Amino acid sequence: MSLPILVVDDSAMARKMLIKSLPPDWDVDISQAANGIEAIAAYRAGKAAVMFLDLTMPDMDGFQVLEALRQEELNSMVIVVSADIQTVAQERVMSLGAIAFVKKPVSADVLNAVLKQYGVI
Amino acid sequence: MNLAALTNDQHDALQELTNIAMGQAGASLATLLDEFVDLSVPRIRIVAVIDLPPVLAELVGKNNLVSAARQSFQGYLRGEAIIIFGEPGCQALADLMGFEGELGEHGETELLLDVANVLSGACLGGMMEQIRKFTETTGSTELGFSMPSIMARQVMAAQLIDPGKVRWSHALLLEVNFTIQNRNFIAHLTMLMPEDGIEKIRGIIDEFIAAF
Repeated sequence: MSLPILVVDDSAMARKMLIKSLPPDWDVDISQAANGIEAIAAYRAGKAAVMFLDLTMPDMDGFQVLEALRQEELNSMVIVVSADIQTVAQERVMSLGAIAFVKKPVSADVLNAVLKQYGVI
Repeated sequence: MNLAALTNDQHDALQELTNIAMGQAGASLATLLDEFVDLSVPRIRIVAVIDLPPVLAELVGKNNLVSAARQSFQGYLRGEAIIIFGEPGCQALADLMGFEGELGEHGETELLLDVANVLSGACLGGMMEQIRKFTETTGSTELGFSMPSIMARQVMAAQLIDPGKVRWSHALLLEVNFTIQNRNFIAHLTMLMPEDGIEKIRGIIDEFIAAF
């Protein structure tokens, strides 16, 4: 069965860039969300074994998504993908339970290395 | 004079490009201010210079005073970048830089110039960097910047730019949202360009979209 993954970003362009950077032979079922509220809904629907999460979004941002996931059981491996490259942001998302922080623009090599490191691929 | 508006896709791509660039600007400012700086670009628009005074007045607030710095750029694109701060923004930055009470003209100058330099460099430079990375654009996409200088202090937003005295026809207007130490303020980055500059940007956005 394909692995359900969720790409969360308010920018359609950013979602496209990320999807294009995923390993081409990775057997996944890709869902997309444009804000945190949609992301939580998709997560509850079982569509996010792995979640690629942007931080800056309207309505509900990435930090709030991580906090909400922590209230639930956090049955998702969350990889934060952000243009905010300051170390404080990285430390904050890691302390909230993200497994990795990947900076924008996403590089296929970096993404590949992170997925390998956590045994996802 | 009327340029076609950006399509939704072009708008979204430009927004993402500038957000990536602003992430880098935020990191530079964080080093400068020694504080966590969150920068985002909530709104982008393209306007004719003739419409700029009322648009700026609407964005900044009709009766609010602004200070501004300017910087010209040339190379792949040519034009002038103007960074506009309202009073709350100036004061918030001053507090962070550790100025006690009155900022004073010297302190304010130093601050505005530093921030202007980082923002316009990051925005345009960062955009060019993405273009080089993701598109087939050949030839030099380098940009050179002049030293920034103070353009105005404490003037009404509508009076800041006199369209009759500007040699450029269009402006790319970016609203930049700063969050520093739980304080939130907005600056406006105005990139004045000739019409062909705007069309060039539109062209590279299309190329960027086509790359994905």
